[in-house]
Amino acid sequence: MSLRGEGALGYKRSRPGSNTSKELNPDERNVYNLIKSKGDMGIWKGDIRRELNMNNTKIIDNCVKALQLNQMIREVPDVKAKGKKRLMAMEFEPSKELTGGVWYQDGILDEDLIDNLKLVCLKLLSRHKVATADGLRHEINNLDGAFHVEVTVDQVKEILDNLILEKEISKVKSNGMGEFASFPVNVDCYKLKSKRAKMGAFSMIPCGVCPQINHCAPDGIISPVTCVYYTKWLEF
Amino acid sequence: MAALTPYGIKLAVHIITTDFGNLVAKICECILRRGTQSRALISRFTELPQDKVKKCLWVLIQHNCVQAFGLEQEGGARDTTVVVTQYMALFDNIIQRLRFPKFMVTVSMEKDKKGEEILEGLLQHGRLTLTQILDRARARSSVGNQDAHRESFRKLVRGRFVERCPAPEPLISLPTEGEGPAKKGGGRNKIARKEVTLEERALAAAIPMDAERFSISYDQGVDSDEEKSESKSSGLKVGEKRKQHNLEWDNELDINGGKKEPVWRVNFDEFIKRLRIKACVEYARSEYDNVAAVILNSMLEGTQRTTSTVSLSLDSIFEQVIKREEGLTMNLEHLRCSLEQLDFCSEADDVYTINLHEIIKKAQFEEVESIVKKRYGIEAFRMFRSLSNGRPLDTDKISERTFVDKKSTPQILYKLWKDNYIQMEKISTGGPRQTDFFLWRVKKDNLWHQILDELYHAALNLSLRYAHEVDQEREIQNLSMENPPPEVKKRRERLRNVRFLLDSSLMKLDDAVMLFHDFLV
Repeated sequence: MSLRGEGALGYKRSRPGSNTSKELNPDERNVYNLIKSKGDMGIWKGDIRRELNMNNTKIIDNCVKALQLNQMIREVPDVKAKGKKRLMAMEFEPSKELTGGVWYQDGILDEDLIDNLKLVCLKLLSRHKVATADGLRHEINNLDGAFHVEVTVDQVKEILDNLILEKEISKVKSNGMGEFASFPVNVDCYKLKSKRAKMGAFSMIPCGVCPQINHCAPDGIISPVTCVYYTKWLEF
Repeated sequence: MAALTPYGIKLAVHIITTDFGNLVAKICECILRRGTQSRALISRFTELPQDKVKKCLWVLIQHNCVQAFGLEQEGGARDTTVVVTQYMALFDNIIQRLRFPKFMVTVSMEKDKKGEEILEGLLQHGRLTLTQILDRARARSSVGNQDAHRESFRKLVRGRFVERCPAPEPLISLPTEGEGPAKKGGGRNKIARKEVTLEERALAAAIPMDAERFSISYDQGVDSDEEKSESKSSGLKVGEKRKQHNLEWDNELDINGGKKEPVWRVNFDEFIKRLRIKACVEYARSEYDNVAAVILNSMLEGTQRTTSTVSLSLDSIFEQVIKREEGLTMNLEHLRCSLEQLDFCSEADDVYTINLHEIIKKAQFEEVESIVKKRYGIEAFRMFRSLSNGRPLDTDKISERTFVDKKSTPQILYKLWKDNYIQMEKISTGGPRQTDFFLWRVKKDNLWHQILDELYHAALNLSLRYAHEVDQEREIQNLSMENPPPEVKKRRERLRNVRFLLDSSLMKLDDAVMLFHDFLV
């Protein structure tokens, strides 16, 4: 809407595509309207054909090309479907569903940011022993230039939940006593696990990680007596 | 009994082969695979003559791996019944043979050398009478007189480490008739309803009541025991039982044992109970800290008989804790603080309840998670843990929660699904534009059964490799010890390390087996 309005005023050097909408042929207009109706979700090219009942893919390709050339639409990546780019009208920003949310950069998971935040949280927790998510957020945002973005409490909580899944830290409700003396009662606190997660007995022996365990039998081709993993394990 | 897995059976057969040879193992395998059966059937299936089968069964019964029972069946002429002796394999008791070193360590904590010797004898011979135990002690012993040994034996029985053997052949009556010839254990049979299997009924009937099971009062000597057993009508007395049924193998057993003297064996249940406490304490130590371990140990030891939950007031926990060296520095506030942090502990009116089953379930998850982490990597580990509360999640949610790229999430989930670690359900939404999404969940029962089988498989592999390594180096073992050449010295050194590694791995692996098989019964 705004684009067209701008074009109608016409007192500035027109942006490419702003007044070209008038020059759209009926097919292009149909395609453009459909794309635009999909808002911040955009639409996949295959779905355009289905929804407009157009069998000729070449026409659709041409329409899309023209609209892109006029900068009325753009391609946005979809984090869920590799190589299945979606077409979206210029006015919209891709939805969280397509971008993957705050942790995604250009459709790719921002692992560096996540790993760094995890590391910082662990360091801060080892310094403070116990902390709340808000306390950690405060400290992270005060770190000079460590992160180019400001993190929210929810983001810190997500990072901490992830560290809980990795068994690095644990979430404890404050009871206002001992090490929780400086926190109100019943507040969610986070602390480092006192010990590293114990290695299970099974995963410490070759069989625990053996990809061939289902093919291994006492008298089989793969057997514990001839097993190469065992031989390597028992090298002294 | 329910958890007989394919590799569980293979491991049991391997244990029997190693300890008693191929012939006994063949009989044992036959009963394990085909279930409870009569001697004639065993003989037919194994194609072995009946007398050989009889001798093998005798060995297995002596070592508590098989239990016999008389099953009343319709047959013969006119309304008469016949009693056919059936033999059931005691799978758990066979696997317990792997744990004998652990049992010895448990008893060594009691700091009674003579008690250890007695237990060793019982583990070695399966079943012994007190006379045999004392004879053995006299022959080997170093220290102490007979009275001292008798006292050590009493201590073992009082501690429930040793129990009277079950009745050799309890009679199980026809399920339709509650009366008639089923005098023995009849009372118990009535309690047992149809859902109880034949084997469970037989076991329940065979095991003496607690008062008798751990009673040494009859053991004043062979003579007095004889008199008492005659006057008693319990029907579960070992000697009396033999008279009534006159089993062939039993008569032969009498040649070895005293005629009416009670026979004793190691009570595996007590050891498992203690190992269960130990496992729970170790879990608390690794999950929390030493303080948590000390508290849990004191709480569980204070109660002795461990059921699924233990409740104690704060004061009594404190009393128990300060009895220990590590608990001396503790005060009430500190104790309360530590107790409140324990996940598996709940509080109501200053009474703290520990749920042992919860601890064991957590420890089981820890073991499985550790396998997932090692086999499939840290991302799969996070995914598995996000599903471990049993609630299903869809692919997107899992990806968001675990910080795994949305594109690779389905691939990792697929790997876990393919190996049965998680289950998948396809949900289609209705409406004009149908979309499919996938729900994933951890289904514990199936997975735990599979893990247990893999654990048995791994234990079998460790045992086989152990035997192989020892066999390979047999020639150097027979060489004289004096001045061995450097090559031999090196090989001996290696063999020692290999044996140590395989042995300790097997013991640790067996801890995991107990976690999945024995602790939650």
